[in-house]
Amino acid sequence: MTHQIELSAVNKYYGAYHALKDIDLSIPKGSFVALVGPSGCGKSTLLRSLAGLETISSGDLVIAGKRMNGVPPRKRDLAMVFQSYALYPHMTVEQNLTYSLKINGVRKAERKRAAADVAAITGLSNLLHRYPRELSGGQRQRVAMSRAIIRNPQAFLFDEPLSNLDAALRVHMRKEIRALHDRLGATSVYVTHDQVEAMTMADHVVVMRNGVIEQQGKPLDLYDRPTNRFVAGFIGSPAMNFIPARSTPDGRALVLDLAEPQTVPFDCPLPAERALIVGIRPEHLTLAGADAAGFKVGVAAVETTGAVTFITTATTPEIVVALNGRAAVMAGETIRLTFAGGDVHLFDAETDQRIK
Amino acid sequence: MKRVFSSITDGRGFDLVLVGVPFTFLLALSGLPLLYNILMSFQEVDMFSLGSVIRPFVGFRNYLDLFTQPETVSILKNTIVFVVGSITGQFLVGFALALFFWINFPGASWLRGLFLVSWVMPGLVVGAIWNWILSGDFGVLNFLLQQTGLMSSNIFWRSDPNFSLWAVILANIWLGTSFNMILLATGLSAIPADLYEAAEMDGANAWQRFWTITLPMMRSTIGAIIALGLIFTLQQFDLFAAITDGGPNNSSNVAQYWAWDLSFRQYDFGKGATISVIMTVFVMFAATVYVRSTRHEVRG
Repeated sequence: MTHQIELSAVNKYYGAYHALKDIDLSIPKGSFVALVGPSGCGKSTLLRSLAGLETISSGDLVIAGKRMNGVPPRKRDLAMVFQSYALYPHMTVEQNLTYSLKINGVRKAERKRAAADVAAITGLSNLLHRYPRELSGGQRQRVAMSRAIIRNPQAFLFDEPLSNLDAALRVHMRKEIRALHDRLGATSVYVTHDQVEAMTMADHVVVMRNGVIEQQGKPLDLYDRPTNRFVAGFIGSPAMNFIPARSTPDGRALVLDLAEPQTVPFDCPLPAERALIVGIRPEHLTLAGADAAGFKVGVAAVETTGAVTFITTATTPEIVVALNGRAAVMAGETIRLTFAGGDVHLFDAETDQRIK
Repeated sequence: MKRVFSSITDGRGFDLVLVGVPFTFLLALSGLPLLYNILMSFQEVDMFSLGSVIRPFVGFRNYLDLFTQPETVSILKNTIVFVVGSITGQFLVGFALALFFWINFPGASWLRGLFLVSWVMPGLVVGAIWNWILSGDFGVLNFLLQQTGLMSSNIFWRSDPNFSLWAVILANIWLGTSFNMILLATGLSAIPADLYEAAEMDGANAWQRFWTITLPMMRSTIGAIIALGLIFTLQQFDLFAAITDGGPNNSSNVAQYWAWDLSFRQYDFGKGATISVIMTVFVMFAATVYVRSTRHEVRG
């Protein structure tokens, strides 16, 4: 597979601040890559470095086989969709779409045809003569996308394009952007702070923190085997529960450090007598039957959406349980929880790295 | 009565009072003098009838007399040259400076503040300083022009009829540039940075970005500043008083200075008022342009 974008050992400094640290990333042609992480993690800086709006301090940036380190944005042949959309307010939708073509000296008749073609794909045909201020948020978003599509660039760069839309429209546009990506056979790099967007849209998810790539891979691989506690807590919603624990000397049980220590037998072999963090996702906890092994917790709150019931425990740290359907549990009760050994993620208590 | 009072403390009446106070103020201090000025332009006014409002009505005779006077055409021409020259100079230099400080090098905002010095100086002081700069035999301007080889002999800026008007225009450009720069800088900083980034991604170079993003986005600011410039240059009086006194032989006289000269030196109040009325029409036109251009602000 050919790589459309390749970054090797890329560093970026703002004065003394080290914004990107030794970034290695290969993006195959036609793939959809999501950069995800909390704010300030460097994901936007990385995207803007790809675009050329920021210059990288060291390392190599190769786009479509050419080294692009010092090349200005206008010569990189990348299209970007901005969070604010950055539509030209003094131009109609049609002029917005064809701006790049006009700059590149494409004839007027040809520009009009190109705009009509793209507008037909994105459903803007009736809006070509409106100004951005006359459009709704969703329509502006479409114009921003169309302005990128019309150029047929080497790659599309998305900088949190959905964050200004309401929740329902965001879910809808998620599918639409992915469908468009597949239809155009494009290469896309998508920055978001919303892990659900990253998980649902991307072929390849890159989780970043403090300028470092913490983990990258297929969405479900990140969900199933997070390499450290940060990725484990970041991917998945509601977030994974982390319970401090210690393995027993025989390595066959875990002592959970809840308000009072509770011993739970564990069916996989454990390193003996080691301080651990037990990670367990809310959806992997179930109510234990009367005779099954489990641990006791008090119930602090019960929330139900109809399809799922969320139980928050009164323990420290607090544990969230997501049960399918409805559960006859009330706040104030004491319940017993259990989990399957295969669903547990174990992290070293000191390094936060995965050990199983 | 109680209803009226409560409406004033809490309701529509309060709004009316708020509007009413400045409205009354404007009417008394701007509206009435304006009307009185128009009235005077249709009357025969001299030193002795100055105190009364009812004076001999002469219809358009003041207007007709004015346009038969030999100096009228040249003074109106001077006015146009002064207005166009000053506005063009102030705008171009101001825009260039605004763009220069927009680059935001270290110390830019500090230096930009220094430029405001010209704006806070009284016109008469500016005039006095420029008198020295423009001075024919020891002026700095002549020295510079000769040393750079642009001129071979001294120009007597203030007394040569070919240059006297330009002497005032030069000083006026210096006086008004910083005001233009500040307004244009505000307009520039109101353009969102991501528009330039989007244009850059779309392939536009710096020159193309200036023509397709900066200028169109600045349209309302530019319209406003040119309209304000027209109003300010038509008000410019101090510099004429300080530098040329309208001379020599009216070669640097303009309508606003002439109106003052006719009214308060020659005591021909009717004609002075007539010129003011003509100028009012022009300023009203400029004010309309100003209001319209600020109403159609394009901000996405």
